[in-house]
Amino acid sequence: MLFSNMRIVEASTEKPIPVEIYPVEKSELKLFSKKRYSFDWSSESKFEVYKLVISRTEDALGLISMDRIPQEWRIHIRLIAVSKENLGSGKIYENIAGVLIAYASKIALEDFGEHACISLKPKTQIAKLYMEKYNMKITGMLLSLEVPELLNLINRYDYD
Amino acid sequence: MTEDKNVVNDYTLYNIDSRYTSEKEKKSDSIALMEARLERMKNLSDKDIKRARLMQLKLIMESYLNSGSTDEKNSFTSFLKKYIGIIYQKQNQFAKDVGITPVLLSQIINNHREPSDEFLMKLMVHSEKIFKDVGRFEKQLWYRVYFQDKISETMLNQNEWAPRIEKEIKITEPI
Repeated sequence: MLFSNMRIVEASTEKPIPVEIYPVEKSELKLFSKKRYSFDWSSESKFEVYKLVISRTEDALGLISMDRIPQEWRIHIRLIAVSKENLGSGKIYENIAGVLIAYASKIALEDFGEHACISLKPKTQIAKLYMEKYNMKITGMLLSLEVPELLNLINRYDYD
Repeated sequence: MTEDKNVVNDYTLYNIDSRYTSEKEKKSDSIALMEARLERMKNLSDKDIKRARLMQLKLIMESYLNSGSTDEKNSFTSFLKKYIGIIYQKQNQFAKDVGITPVLLSQIINNHREPSDEFLMKLMVHSEKIFKDVGRFEKQLWYRVYFQDKISETMLNQNEWAPRIEKEIKITEPI
């Protein structure tokens, strides 16, 4: 775990739940099924993959894979998945994707300071939602988050 | 099986496949994004740059604490020097703001003198005030970094102090 003080929210009670984010070992990737985590994660072995777990537990509630591009002071988010039981009206926890994006933002800021940027290229229909929800900017089809908006996102998901 | 509408919405919203299918597309996106970012960077205010650098410093300090490793680049005094450098044009102004002499500050930064408790407390309060405009700041952060350095230094120099100390320590009441 590189950074602490991040929380998700229990949907039924709105109670904040402390989480930890850990790097995923290559050998672990095959354990994340497409059924629960939407994608074939074993194909991400060349990239950095992180899992979000509730503090002192092991079950991954969300996964993110990223490509660090230092020459462009940027981290490109390749995949994000929230575990199946945390999607839809019956979801147990909220903010999993937001915390994972904030985590990528922290890594970018730690590495690149005021030049930090995260990017992702979602399908057209959700680009607008991401611009609204995370205050991302659009360049062509690519969404990005830069300073100062990147700081605001980190602060939104950071707690004392 | 019919999935409810919210599942479909959440699925689309929170399961993102943002991988490139071709290098050509990736390169073209990179160039366009970099051009746009360089333009936007020109408009970054001094305050935003300072906020970003302070948050960066805080994250580096947190990573340092979590990693448990030590090196010259990451130490209490190197972090202190960076902190002052981000906020002040002249180190002396920081000394004035926290009510110590420039000489004392210089001695602390150059590892010629240990920071006192009073100095650490002043640094804590100074950082709390500064970080109100930046983001969350853990009060104990400077203390934790300082004591991590002390622990590492002590363990690293065991060969120097341990033989003498071991001779001095007696156990008169063994368990």
